Amino acid sequence: MVLTLFLAIILFLTIMQAVIPYLLKKTIVFGVTIPEGHTDDKTLAVYKKTYSATIFFMGSIGLLIYVFWALSNHLQEEKIVFAGLILQFGILLISMALYLYFHIRTTKRKREHKWGDNLKRVRVADLTSRSNDEMLPSLMFALPIPITFGLIGYTAIQYGAMPDLIPTHWGPNGQPDAFTEKNRFSVIALLLILLVMQGMMLAINTFTKKSGVKLNASKRNSSRIQQLTFRKYTSWLLFLVSISMTVLLGFLQLTTIHGDLGGPFLMMAMPLGFLFVILLATAVYAFKVGQGGSRVQLEIDEEPIAGVTDPDDDAFWKAGVFYVNKNDPSIFVEKRFGVGWTMNFGNPMGYLIIFVPLLIISIISFLL
Amino acid sequence: MFIQIEPTSEIPIYTQLANQLIELIATGTLKASDALPSVRSLAADLGVNMHTVNKAYHELEKKKIIEIIPKSGAIINPISSNGPSDMQMDLIKLHLKPLIAESIVYGLDKEQILSITSSIISEITEG
Repeated sequence: MVLTLFLAIILFLTIMQAVIPYLLKKTIVFGVTIPEGHTDDKTLAVYKKTYSATIFFMGSIGLLIYVFWALSNHLQEEKIVFAGLILQFGILLISMALYLYFHIRTTKRKREHKWGDNLKRVRVADLTSRSNDEMLPSLMFALPIPITFGLIGYTAIQYGAMPDLIPTHWGPNGQPDAFTEKNRFSVIALLLILLVMQGMMLAINTFTKKSGVKLNASKRNSSRIQQLTFRKYTSWLLFLVSISMTVLLGFLQLTTIHGDLGGPFLMMAMPLGFLFVILLATAVYAFKVGQGGSRVQLEIDEEPIAGVTDPDDDAFWKAGVFYVNKNDPSIFVEKRFGVGWTMNFGNPMGYLIIFVPLLIISIISFLL
Repeated sequence: MFIQIEPTSEIPIYTQLANQLIELIATGTLKASDALPSVRSLAADLGVNMHTVNKAYHELEKKKIIEIIPKSGAIINPISSNGPSDMQMDLIKLHLKPLIAESIVYGLDKEQILSITSSIISEITEG
């Protein structure tokens, strides 16, 4: 069971890491801005292929060794879990090292060939982009929050009837395997964590909405459609995460209050279902929408405007991954390598939205 | 309705922005009582400091081209039917004079200056 679960997750991780270069916009390769006209460069295509093939190959070998090792020795569950985590970290480390290597190669190639030196650098904005933005209203992200408060109230009413040991951890079969003493804090700790996460999702949606719609200067109309589609589905994915988290943690809380709610099958099916839904949604988002909407099928075939390209903001991207720009009021910006968003480290608000909730969750878990 | 700025140009970004907006109004793309995006969102879209956009908006307000209504945003004023105000007239003369002087120094005669002006007018009004 544990092995199957880890196999699925590691396989997912390997494939996602390997295909990243193909989910990105053509104008950013290994975290480097590539001006229009050089995006189909043959050497860059070789870099991308080498990156993907290496990760896929290494990941597959690692997985095979892992499976044979786990099957041939009768191991304890903890050992399988531990090795699985190590393997995941290994794959991530290899991807990061490869990324850095090709980031440096790409930077060098761009500089040596003076790409884009003769192009006019312009930043384009659409005055109507906000009225056409279809990101979900933040009010929708507030909807699951009263459910959590309702559950806290319900827990308070049921306090007397609750068991003396409160579960704090659930095993792969969905059964609790670690407990803490019952008190007024421990009975609602899970719900408090849920509340913090719901608040975080709400804040991320609100501030992503306020962040910039960044257009491609030479392909304005198509990049506008892609950007707006990307924003819309980002917010849908975020909403799905918020809702499924509420369902899962709310369910766990009810089983803590009432014992085996729905039997062992449901206990096992709920977390697995959650994992399945999240992985599936992430995969659909990555492959159907792509980074910045780069995989959105467009009805128009826009000719790039000759002679212009986006301003080169590589200087704001440390190692091509960390965005630090004090002047940009955007709190979240599109990742350059990977699908999704990252923080503007030059804006203190971002730290507040990401790190404070994580800190509160750590404190709650520590106090249990 | 696109606007574009050149971050590396010698012309300050807020001037470029104000000029672009004025041109959109002159061509009729932006109409009276249309709302401009909020300072924050336009700055985020352009990746520039909010002060830059704010300065451009205030420049336009000073010229009575837009109206900034606290809490609700920047609204385009209608193009005046009884012509420019004295203040606006003075401003136009002030800006035109050095340009016309420069044209004369380059050796342009009155005919040429008038023909350039009229072709720019048709470029703006006819799109």
